[in-house]
Amino acid sequence: MPHPPRAVRRALAALLLALAAPAARPAPPPAAAAAPAWRTEFDEVCARTQDAMALSVEELRSLVARCDALLPALEKLAESERKVFTRRLQACRSLYQFVLDSRGQK
Amino acid sequence: MRRAFGVAAALAALLAAGAAVGQGAGVKKRRPLPQEYGRVVLDNHSTASRMAPVAFDHWLHRARFTCRLCHVDVGFAMKAGATDVRAADNQRGFYCGACHDRKTVFDGKKLFGACGPGTAGESCARCHSVGKQVTPEVDFTAFTRGLPRGRFGNGVDWEQAEEQGLIRPADHLEGVSIARKPMTAQKDFALSPKLVEMPEIVFSHKKHTVWNGCELCHPDIFVGVKRGSTRYSMAEIFEGKYCGVCHATVAFPTTDCQRCHTRPVQ
Repeated sequence: MPHPPRAVRRALAALLLALAAPAARPAPPPAAAAAPAWRTEFDEVCARTQDAMALSVEELRSLVARCDALLPALEKLAESERKVFTRRLQACRSLYQFVLDSRGQK
Repeated sequence: MRRAFGVAAALAALLAAGAAVGQGAGVKKRRPLPQEYGRVVLDNHSTASRMAPVAFDHWLHRARFTCRLCHVDVGFAMKAGATDVRAADNQRGFYCGACHDRKTVFDGKKLFGACGPGTAGESCARCHSVGKQVTPEVDFTAFTRGLPRGRFGNGVDWEQAEEQGLIRPADHLEGVSIARKPMTAQKDFALSPKLVEMPEIVFSHKKHTVWNGCELCHPDIFVGVKRGSTRYSMAEIFEGKYCGVCHATVAFPTTDCQRCHTRPVQ
């Protein structure tokens, strides 16, 4: 059986490479692929510590409430995650409460 | 007779009090060497697991990471041993294992793994080093040679080193830290010392927030929500409370009076 012309072979090789490319593409990092709901909420709630002093009383109250609502979910995590994230949540909740209290004293 | 008994009782009481002082506050502590300043010994579970306790030197990590990165984002408590780190935590990628996972690359090198499988033998001693002769990978003298000199502590003025760009402590760890907005630093303020003619203390929020953020100090260390409402003394600071949480352990020590008492009395 005669070989196909070089141009045809090249086109076939290019087609095969193009089809194989998506499989070779690296998978997205696990955190970006599927962050659990608690982690997304944690990141959102505790991202405001930097500008806590600029937040309104309503915003601070809302953040404290969201921290309290999130705690039961964190307490159900495996030991290592639970230790780390309950401590981190406590730190940001305490800061929001601290700023809230300071508003009350002004 | 009754008078003699009274004198004897008073003398006995004085001797007992003297002995108590001798056992406690009257004993002078040895000042740590520059490379030892900021060393923390952790032994929650090591000895019980027939391992040497962990000796953690702050100087190398503080040159590369902010206090907040480790003590807020990674979750280390501010008091030695209070975190209760277990080998399993490190193996799961928490605490030391957040960076020391044999994958993270720093300064062009993969970091060694903390407590993971395959770390058995001599590499455990990199951290579990109390009572062992371990040569550290990074030499203190060589590392600090080009940094601005400080009078006490590590013998390094870390604040100047940061200002001059000689060290650039990272404040974000991918997958661990939260993406935050730039900080809105609070104003500096002066604190009046209790001692007459002692120079005033100028407290810089800006300098502190570079390293600590807000939540490292408030409200755990400084509870009062109104300036001046947290009253404290030098004696309490020397005991490791308030400013002494850091400035008696890791940051420049309280013997460096002029670093805080900067403003002459008017």
